[in-house]
Amino acid sequence: MIALPQDPIPLKDLSERLSKRLANFRLSDAVIKGIAERVLIDGLSLVRFDPCIYGICADYFSEKVPQLDGLAARRGVKKWEVFPYGIIDWDLFHVTIAYNVDELEGKGQLREFNR
Amino acid sequence: MACLHCYSESDPQRKQALDPGTLCAALELLRAEGYSVISLSGGEPLVYPPLRAVVERGRELGFRVTMITNGLLATERMDPVLSLLDGIAISFDGLAATHNALRVRSDAFARACGALQRLAAHGRPIAAAISLTREAIADLPDLADHLVSLGARALQIRPVARAGRARSLDETSFYGASDYARLYLVVLALQRELPADVGVHCDLAPANGLWQQRNAYAGLLGSCDRVCREDRLLADLVNPLVITETGSLKPIAYDFDQAFDVASIDGLSFERLRHYKQQDLPKLQALIGGALAALQGPNVLVDWFDHCTRLSEQSHLAADQASVG
Repeated sequence: MIALPQDPIPLKDLSERLSKRLANFRLSDAVIKGIAERVLIDGLSLVRFDPCIYGICADYFSEKVPQLDGLAARRGVKKWEVFPYGIIDWDLFHVTIAYNVDELEGKGQLREFNR
Repeated sequence: MACLHCYSESDPQRKQALDPGTLCAALELLRAEGYSVISLSGGEPLVYPPLRAVVERGRELGFRVTMITNGLLATERMDPVLSLLDGIAISFDGLAATHNALRVRSDAFARACGALQRLAAHGRPIAAAISLTREAIADLPDLADHLVSLGARALQIRPVARAGRARSLDETSFYGASDYARLYLVVLALQRELPADVGVHCDLAPANGLWQQRNAYAGLLGSCDRVCREDRLLADLVNPLVITETGSLKPIAYDFDQAFDVASIDGLSFERLRHYKQQDLPKLQALIGGALAALQGPNVLVDWFDHCTRLSEQSHLAADQASVG
């Protein structure tokens, strides 16, 4: 048995809007639940949610110094940035987190060639 | 129409309607109690014969008046009353096939779209109120595109409520936790995909975020003895307040359990409302306080008004069982 890498993702799927890919039930409940659990973070208000070069980039605001101790342990977090507004607004922090979302890219699915 | 999911179980055969004189008298009193917005719904508010008089009286009293309509009757003939409104929302349940099936009418979607487009073309601020069964989540991106192309400037999106006739829908119509997540993520994506001047809002919110906004209930839950409560405006304590077609005043939602009813608009008086604040408000305080405290648990997605409404039903059932025991 030979395991082949998956075919390149068809262009029409790549261009399909994020909202449509999330809305159609081809993405399983488990996948959706996994994405939501990753992007909903205690203490941070999610305000923006975009496809980006890492997968999905999300913007959050917090009125306290963000507690991001467990962030590195979360699955698929590629990077994060914290911007304190400082003298503009002492109680406002902008957090950007980039997630690698394999499920949206269809990765991890091997085709097998059965003899 | 007699929609399959109608939370108020309205249909053309039901003729019960609020007496306009009683209603307007209640509105005057409620304006003095601090309420500033009237949102007209139904059933279908455009079938209410004294609608124009009520809207005019509401505006005289200083209310902003908005309406949710299915759009069927939002034609030129209704322009004299539609022009008095500060905002109009047309209700949708999905794309044409989904919408028409739930409305049990083959032209419901086309006429709703026609009304939205006509009113938007006249420069009116038009929104779409979208209530989705679980299966209809897949319709949402294309539906949003279509409604925005017709001129909708805001989309208010929510899961279908398990209330009224909707209780008879197939169980697959209702949401589990992963369906809440799917709808929430789709709305987040739409907020970025649609034009920046189109507001896209969802009735779902993370529990964590709702807890952070708990000060919205400071009026209801703040430390305040009985005397202090009497002096507070009702709008600071109970908001929103629903007037049903039978004249009951209910907190939060149409199907909030009747054990929490505020009063009836029949014979409504400041004295009656003072009595409510003294004697009955603590029950609502306990319910909402408990619901807020529970938000400190897992950061799940919550349909807050629906959640409180279901708690009101459970609270009533628990009280019944306790009294039987």
